[in-house]
Amino acid sequence: MNSMNSIYENLKSKFNILGVDYPDDMQMAIDLDEKDIHTVIVYLKSIGYTQLSMLTCVDWIKEGVFQLVYIVFNWDNGIHILVRTKLDRENPKFRTIVEIYPGAQFYERDVHEFFGVEFEGNEISYKNLFLELWDDMPPMRKDFDPQKYSDEKYAAREYKSKFISEVGGEK
Amino acid sequence: MNIMNFIYAFLLLVFVFLFQTSITGINRKVMARLQRRRGPKWYQQFIDIFKAMSKSSTTHGWIFDFGVIMALGGIMATTILIPIGPFKAFADVDNIFIVSYLLAVGMLGMAMSASGSGNPWASIGVSRALTNMLAYDVPFMVLIVSFIYAFKTSSLSGFAALQQGAGILGWNFFRFPLGGIVALICLQGMLGKKPFDSFIAPAEIASGPMVEYGGRHLGMLFLLHEFSTFIEVSIIVHIFFGGGATPLEFMVKYALLYTFMNIISGVFPRFKIDQAVKFYYKVPLALAFIQGLIIIFTGLGVS
Amino acid sequence: MKIISNNSKTDKEDMRKIWEKIGDYFRANSIWMKWYCTGCGAIELPPTMTSRFDMERLGMGPMATPRQADVLLITGYLSSKTLRRIIYSYEQMQDPKYVVGFGSCTINGGIYYDSYATMKQLDNYLPVDLYIAGCMPRPEAVMNGFDTLISMIKKGEANGWKHYKENYDWYSRNQLHSLGEVYVKDEFHE
Repeated sequence: MNSMNSIYENLKSKFNILGVDYPDDMQMAIDLDEKDIHTVIVYLKSIGYTQLSMLTCVDWIKEGVFQLVYIVFNWDNGIHILVRTKLDRENPKFRTIVEIYPGAQFYERDVHEFFGVEFEGNEISYKNLFLELWDDMPPMRKDFDPQKYSDEKYAAREYKSKFISEVGGEK
Repeated sequence: MNIMNFIYAFLLLVFVFLFQTSITGINRKVMARLQRRRGPKWYQQFIDIFKAMSKSSTTHGWIFDFGVIMALGGIMATTILIPIGPFKAFADVDNIFIVSYLLAVGMLGMAMSASGSGNPWASIGVSRALTNMLAYDVPFMVLIVSFIYAFKTSSLSGFAALQQGAGILGWNFFRFPLGGIVALICLQGMLGKKPFDSFIAPAEIASGPMVEYGGRHLGMLFLLHEFSTFIEVSIIVHIFFGGGATPLEFMVKYALLYTFMNIISGVFPRFKIDQAVKFYYKVPLALAFIQGLIIIFTGLGVS
Repeated sequence: MKIISNNSKTDKEDMRKIWEKIGDYFRANSIWMKWYCTGCGAIELPPTMTSRFDMERLGMGPMATPRQADVLLITGYLSSKTLRRIIYSYEQMQDPKYVVGFGSCTINGGIYYDSYATMKQLDNYLPVDLYIAGCMPRPEAVMNGFDTLISMIKKGEANGWKHYKENYDWYSRNQLHSLGEVYVKDEFHE
């Protein structure tokens, strides 16, 4: 925990950190303004956080924001740092980090595909990674209704008797 | 050479099919017991072949179809030259050179047909199979040529006849132990058994040359495999294990040798193709050269 | 589900020619599987194949490619992406061919009933000869299912491949409705 504190003090002295959180013993989450992300990630990479473990997105639909989460990992001290920022949900756009971590290519494609966040500077981020011939809104957004989509596209089996209502499971 | 020869040849083919397919079935059972399974019925291999024949099959063009037939024809033509003990369909043509050339027709037909399918796995499989052939053929041929030098014969029944009458210790396998070991290693490669089966590796290259074959084509390949197995094992039985004074003796030796090779195959993982070639060009080739030098300069064992 | 009375069944059996009966005997006793691991059910097959249950004693075995195989196992949930490959594989197989659906996901979607990428009913897209219920079916259930499949083939009841040919329009319409397009378009097919 001490090393974590010193890392936090170090970062706080250099950057404008909006909030901090400790999800786990070896994990630290920092919230940043979106314009600081690239500087912080470059700095973290230079002090040993050489692995980008994950880039993902959270849909905070009530606040109207997407939260991007960059998880970087240091193999020397085993600490994960979650670098988080919030984007406007209406027109989500962000700059790519492919130049910093080339492996981010696939994560950015993934986030683009499932949340519709555009990454400027990554020319193939629009390419589909998992979904093929997708024809609806990005499926991991909270306002997407998978049940409705599934019912429209994939016919369900029809049963002669309703087993669920017989055992009293359905309201 | 008269009409009886051809009838004998036909009977020989039928016999070889029944015999070798049964042996394969029994060996599947042996393999199952090795792995502590109950195993299939002993005639499972017949069912598999007939089932494959009973299915429809698709074609990938003329080369694909013709290659299979050419391969099967070449292999069957080779089979009728192989003596079973003293029984021969055609006299005086069981020469080792004729056999190995005709065998190559089968192999190349197979390669042609597989490449004709246009599947990349098939091409990889074929290139591996031909590389493998090149690997085991060099030590084997060194060995065979020195044997031909020593015994002044190149016919399979000639080799067998020279070994008979002196009991088990008269077999070339015991008179030339180095050569015998080389021959068994080469036989393992010829049969495409582990550890030299990288060209059919089902989990890596989807069974290699056979990848596009289904139905009748696959049935013909199974037949081809049975016949070529018979040829390869028979060559070794004739040259190194004294053939057979009676057909029964030959069949017993054959069955035991094939089962032995299969059991070895059952406990090995597989070599990559480059490892297989390196191995063949190191150990068996060196042993074959030593054996050849011993035969030529000292005559040890030739008597 | 078609319900066939006993009488019509015997009629049907008599309609088979003698060589079809012989062929069905061989096909029933030598079933090669195209073991396409779509979902979690594939993990139940190694124990079915190895020492304890040993499916080879029924003449069954895994094959490497769809061309060589007789039966296509859909082992578990079936995503829309997988279904395209499954249709490719199925149409590459040689007649007669059989399809076995594993587990509740292939029957009615199972726990993925509301997923945006999982098929809910396999027999809309491919002719299924046999379903094995369970989530997942244990090896005992799998062996039992294969036993049923063998007796179905022997009696000449496993005619899904004929049904697929006769009703290809219906299957094709379902496939297109759910998939948009059957052709695979990924980075390897650009």
